[in-house]
Amino acid sequence: MQLRISDYLKPEVIMMQLKQQEKIAVLKELAEYLVENKLVKDGDEFINALAKRENLESTGIGNGIAIPHARTNAVDNLILAFARSPEGVDFSAIDGKPSHLIFLIASPEHKKSEYIMALAKLSRLLRREAVRKMLMDAQSPEEILKIIQENED
Amino acid sequence: MEFKNLLLLLTDDTDEEIISPCIQFCKIFRCRLFVLFIMEPFRISRLASLTHKKTNELHKTIEEQGWKLLYLVEDEATENDIRTSLHHEEGNMIKLIKNFVENYTIDALILRKKEATKKVFVASPVMVIGL
Repeated sequence: MQLRISDYLKPEVIMMQLKQQEKIAVLKELAEYLVENKLVKDGDEFINALAKRENLESTGIGNGIAIPHARTNAVDNLILAFARSPEGVDFSAIDGKPSHLIFLIASPEHKKSEYIMALAKLSRLLRREAVRKMLMDAQSPEEILKIIQENED
Repeated sequence: MEFKNLLLLLTDDTDEEIISPCIQFCKIFRCRLFVLFIMEPFRISRLASLTHKKTNELHKTIEEQGWKLLYLVEDEATENDIRTSLHHEEGNMIKLIKNFVENYTIDALILRKKEATKKVFVASPVMVIGL
């Protein structure tokens, strides 16, 4: 199954600077943004699904990255959003470092393969230090998207 | 017998059939599941040579397959309220396992009895459960 991150990530769901710095507050900020953009139908259900997953084990995967994710029927399709936090957010990452690059992935319950594939592709992409640095230095949502497009294969 | 931290070892040789029994095991013993996918460079080179594929292409495929397996385990674990920690590493399998067992105080290791994991039965510092 061929899936490209850049086909799902749109400039309007790329937040260059998060306002919040606490994990759940960040998830709420992202959820509100996605509700405003009509990508999430039910903000409360969405937050609950993400928080449930987060309470079970952190999605901070180290190297300044967090990938909060959940399968929930609060969305109709696979959605991806990106947010950057210059100060960093404590996602209780495995390396103990704050997360600066936050990618959110959600899909409806029945789209499991697509969801797993998106998580796998993104995790692989973000292992590359050069990509992480470019994402930290990017100046606009369009630039973020371009970096992903050029590096995801 | 008590298991607090269990390590599930995954390689390019592991199939998805190991996931459900492993999750059931964790559910019974109420343990935390660490999932480790290991890529061994020499094995990738050998596979590339045997299959006449480019090493970097095969590396990419196996790396992605590893992440996919990790998230499949996590997805089923989440449905069963089991805490999981995902890890994707490249290097010598035995060395990585030994470091992991020490760093995360692993009580036992679960793996699929396949060609790539035979050596683990001999070298593992903790009990190995083959499924």
